[in-house]
Amino acid sequence: MSETSFSVLGIFDTPNSLMAAIPKLRATKLGTVEAYTPYPIHGIDDALGLRKSPLGGMVLVMGILGALTAFGFEYWISAVDYPIITGGKAAGSWEAFIPIMFEVTVLFATFTAGLGMLLLLNKLPFFGHPVLSAKAITSITRDRYVLALEAESEAFDSQAAVAALQAAGATDIEVLPAPDRSPFLTSDYILRTLGGIFVACLVAGLGIFTLTKWFPLLRPMVNMQDQPRLNAQKPSSFFKDGHGMQRPVAGTVARGHLPTATGKQEEAASLVNPLPRTKEVFEVGRKAYHNRCEVCHGAIGNGVGSLTAAYGGKPANLQAQQFRDYPDGKIYWAIVNGKNAMPSHAADLTDAQRWSVVHYVRALQRAQNAKDEDLKVVAP
Amino acid sequence: MRPDIAIPEGLLEPALTVGTVTPGSLDDQVLAFPETLPPRQWYIGITITLSALFIGLGFIGYTFYKGIGAWGNSSPVFWAFDIINFVFWVGIGHAGTLISAILFLFRKRWRNAIARFAEAMTIFAVICAVIFPLIHVGRPWVAFWLFPYPNQRALWTNFRSPLLWDVFAVNTYFSVSLMFWYLGLIPDIASMRDRTKSKLRKTIYTVLAVGWRGAATHWQHYEKAYLLLAGLATGLVLSVHSVVSFDFATSVVPGWHMTIFPPYFVAGAIFAGFSMVVMVLVVVRETMQLKNLITMRHLDVMNKVILAMSCIMGYSYMMEGFTAWYSMNEYLHHGFMNIITGTYGWAGWLTISCNIFIPQILWFKKARTSYFWMIFVAIGVTIGMWFERFVIIVISLHQDYLPSAWRVYVPTMTDFGILLGTFGIFFTLVLLFARVLPVIATTEVKAILPGAQPSHHGDDHHV
Amino acid sequence: MSQNPKKSPLLLGAMGLGALGVLGTYVAAGHERFWANWVLWFVLIFTLGLGSLFIVALEHLVSARWSVPVRRIPERLATLLLPAVPVGLIALFALPVLYPGTRPEAAHNHILAGKAFWLSIPFFSVRTAIAMVLVLIGLAILVGGSLKQDQTKDPAFNFKARKFAPAYMAIFALVITLIAFDWISGLTPEWYSDIFGVYIFAGAFLSGLAATVLCLLYLQDQDRLGGVKGDHLFNLGGFLFAFTVFWSYIGFAQYMLMWYANMPDEVIYYKVRLAGSWRAITITLALVHFILPFFALVTRAAKKDPKRLRRVAYLMLGAHLLDLYWLIFPVLGAKPLFSWPELSFALFFIGGITIWVRGAMEKGEDMPVGDPFLREGLEFRL
Repeated sequence: MSETSFSVLGIFDTPNSLMAAIPKLRATKLGTVEAYTPYPIHGIDDALGLRKSPLGGMVLVMGILGALTAFGFEYWISAVDYPIITGGKAAGSWEAFIPIMFEVTVLFATFTAGLGMLLLLNKLPFFGHPVLSAKAITSITRDRYVLALEAESEAFDSQAAVAALQAAGATDIEVLPAPDRSPFLTSDYILRTLGGIFVACLVAGLGIFTLTKWFPLLRPMVNMQDQPRLNAQKPSSFFKDGHGMQRPVAGTVARGHLPTATGKQEEAASLVNPLPRTKEVFEVGRKAYHNRCEVCHGAIGNGVGSLTAAYGGKPANLQAQQFRDYPDGKIYWAIVNGKNAMPSHAADLTDAQRWSVVHYVRALQRAQNAKDEDLKVVAP
Repeated sequence: MRPDIAIPEGLLEPALTVGTVTPGSLDDQVLAFPETLPPRQWYIGITITLSALFIGLGFIGYTFYKGIGAWGNSSPVFWAFDIINFVFWVGIGHAGTLISAILFLFRKRWRNAIARFAEAMTIFAVICAVIFPLIHVGRPWVAFWLFPYPNQRALWTNFRSPLLWDVFAVNTYFSVSLMFWYLGLIPDIASMRDRTKSKLRKTIYTVLAVGWRGAATHWQHYEKAYLLLAGLATGLVLSVHSVVSFDFATSVVPGWHMTIFPPYFVAGAIFAGFSMVVMVLVVVRETMQLKNLITMRHLDVMNKVILAMSCIMGYSYMMEGFTAWYSMNEYLHHGFMNIITGTYGWAGWLTISCNIFIPQILWFKKARTSYFWMIFVAIGVTIGMWFERFVIIVISLHQDYLPSAWRVYVPTMTDFGILLGTFGIFFTLVLLFARVLPVIATTEVKAILPGAQPSHHGDDHHV
Repeated sequence: MSQNPKKSPLLLGAMGLGALGVLGTYVAAGHERFWANWVLWFVLIFTLGLGSLFIVALEHLVSARWSVPVRRIPERLATLLLPAVPVGLIALFALPVLYPGTRPEAAHNHILAGKAFWLSIPFFSVRTAIAMVLVLIGLAILVGGSLKQDQTKDPAFNFKARKFAPAYMAIFALVITLIAFDWISGLTPEWYSDIFGVYIFAGAFLSGLAATVLCLLYLQDQDRLGGVKGDHLFNLGGFLFAFTVFWSYIGFAQYMLMWYANMPDEVIYYKVRLAGSWRAITITLALVHFILPFFALVTRAAKKDPKRLRRVAYLMLGAHLLDLYWLIFPVLGAKPLFSWPELSFALFFIGGITIWVRGAMEKGEDMPVGDPFLREGLEFRL
């Protein structure tokens, strides 16, 4: 153990004797005067000449930082990164962000106050201070007041310190050796650990966030999207004009859309209805007529449909003799090409539907011009 | 100068300690409890509380297994015992913070003897409260989704929801209360460290006391931190229960959307909390022979606070009733009538009686200093405040805008079992605390004993 | 001991000029504008007096001893309740002009018709009259008794005040709620907010505190408050800070809840105040009533610095006036009116208040010399 002692303790019985001793000991300039008391003594900070604690400023700064961090984070999440309208409120509704901003401000401020005081300013935990193993410690935390003269340099005169303390009124004296810094579990260690955890969380958080955004867009994850095929609305170097989407070659015909009934209506007269007169065909024809033809030509084909009055046109009365004499092909031609005010219905009806409609029109015409023979039962 | 006027007897306040108390005797009296094994009554007490606790755990397990259907919650009363209990326990916690923080700012020295226990009760109450948001969701195993962490779903939490504000508020409240309580404990644990003869205890206390040695340089920063924490915790007391009230007030349910809810809830929380503190402290001072430190003056003052809060609650009820009429809103009017008539009218009357009528007895000093009356009032207030949340939640929900959705709510055995369990948790923790840690902040009380401070500062000027 | 500035010619001149403008407003600027201004100043004086008397009653309620040396100041400020009575009685003539509930059209509005008897002029006036009587009784007991104690030095007053303080608190709660609901939100009787009474209380308390601080510094400048130290000032500064936060909390709570639920009959109140030119006033109010005083008083040193406190106290009184203006003037229309009528009223009433308060500062001793706790109060240290 080194010969140089670190500090000399003097025990006082009352706060008054403690306070009276402080100016005397400070005047000796033998070392730093430190006090150890079971509870804080009023006025001792000024008596010892302690500088004001910077904790207030630290807490204010961290509080403001907390407020800005919380509000910024809330705003970024709600209005920038993944904006969702909830409850009819705008994405950047600041009113809703205030409560959490306030709580996080208080959280940052209080943890700065508590942990800042303990770890940064008081450098606690620290288990290696010699006062902790002194005899006086049991009195310090119980009911006695201790003043210590602590060495500022190698030239500490412990004899003079003992004498000064006795002169100042100490009832008991103790000399303590130099402190032994314990390597484990000090405030520095905790600060470094906390700092490391914080940095790790920040890095991990940013990393995960970045990865979840960018990971699906990196190779090989993106390869499935990157296939050597022609995608709609993408360019292609294969074609001269650089477009991926090209018009069909001239003369291309869509399935089921062979050009039929071109030319004049008279030429179409020779076309023959390819469909048989079955119940199913008539049903298809009925439905198609109902959807496409009835509005103008009427439910019974007499040219009085629901649109007639509003439209102001005169749809053909299919019950007229002229149209009863029409061969099937000419009716078919009218459906495909339109006639006068009637537009072409080629795009609305498939070929089969068109011929079914022709059958149905024939049925309508026969229904309005029935003969006695029509009542005879036809053999199946 | 002016001649002094004699202060008449009736205006003087009784001393904060009875008999001779010195720092040494204080330590011997209070720190003896963690150093000795508890008496038989303690074991009986903790057996009862632990039984309640395990019953509660059982019912919680059953809830996880069966789902929320095990509770009485059903359309339209989707919130019932779960939220009632949550608000009830968070409210009880507020007294501790008020005593520790707000009374510290007002420099009311009578807080010193009771602050430690009150703060401990805050932490235990918040533990009971936090259980409910966790278990009342359908899938408690993904409760961590409540926190905004970056995830592969690229999803975030909804910051516009008051339920999320609650998550942040209650968590902040818990962490801050815990830290405030722990920092206050450090000097007391240091005393225990230096008294104990057992090696194991010495190691534990040494670690927990983080090497505290009572240095004046340390006390300086410590006191500053304590003052700042007290100021910040005061803000928390107001904000946490206001945020809890926002759960209701931001909605459009008639009877919930009342702007007075934030201060009304805070007043109610202080009211319920102080009653619980009074009840516990009466038991503590009798069973632990601490009558010289937790004096009748302490109980008298706390009862005055309870009376004041009862009056504030009375004002709030009056405003609710007046607004129900003044608004000329038939839904609000119907909701208010349901409180005093209808299926749950009995709950409304119970609430008003326990919260407003019964505490008026505390106008009389005899009642404020009588165990019978103060415990009667305190139990009444505890029941009344639980039922107040019942009235707010169940009555408003069971009949709101759409008559075809009106339905009566019936709680189940599981609901009661979990409530019982939380009382078990709370009192188990209280009993453990009473024997493991110093129930009185010896350091703080030492600082206000007569002769504790140098004479030209004195300690009688801090009013 | 003190000068007698009551008869300051400058103040009287300003008041006279203001009075001319006030009359001119009635004649030339329209009755609605006249009454809006009159009601604004009535509410300001009444809340200032009420807030000051609340401070006194609070001190008796909690048996505070640090505040005894400075208690005379809010007691004197509370005497503003006396001129508030005639101002208020005249303000009753505003009812048929500005308050829709009193007009015959209200019978056709299904919301107003149901509470027509409550909103009618007779019942409204009776309520206001009862409130004034109760408040004057409080003034007589608390302030009159304290002034008498200067002579009698009898501690019996302390017992009486402690007993009466809770009763005054009940009176105060009802009266401040009445001011809020009847005089202020009565201008828009279809709107309601049950926290409104608490909101007006916060403003009233703050204005009482600010006025107390200003008068304390005024007296200290004249060396009339020997023994009152920075510690006393610090406590007052602390209350100013805390209740600035409290006012902001109540104001924000009311706004946020109405914004969130978005119910048409509530939200209209804020839509009016966030539209067009009123928006700038709303933002200014948040700035001068919360942001500026908060940051000006947040540090410990600021709370006991006389220069800082003086400026912040003036700011707070201005902010309270702006608050009431923001509450009352939207009834006049979509544009915030501010011109010679408002300036005249300001000259008249600020002049009047200043003259009254300076006169009140000569009433009784500067400290409650009859109070047995005065010595302890003077020895108070933080």
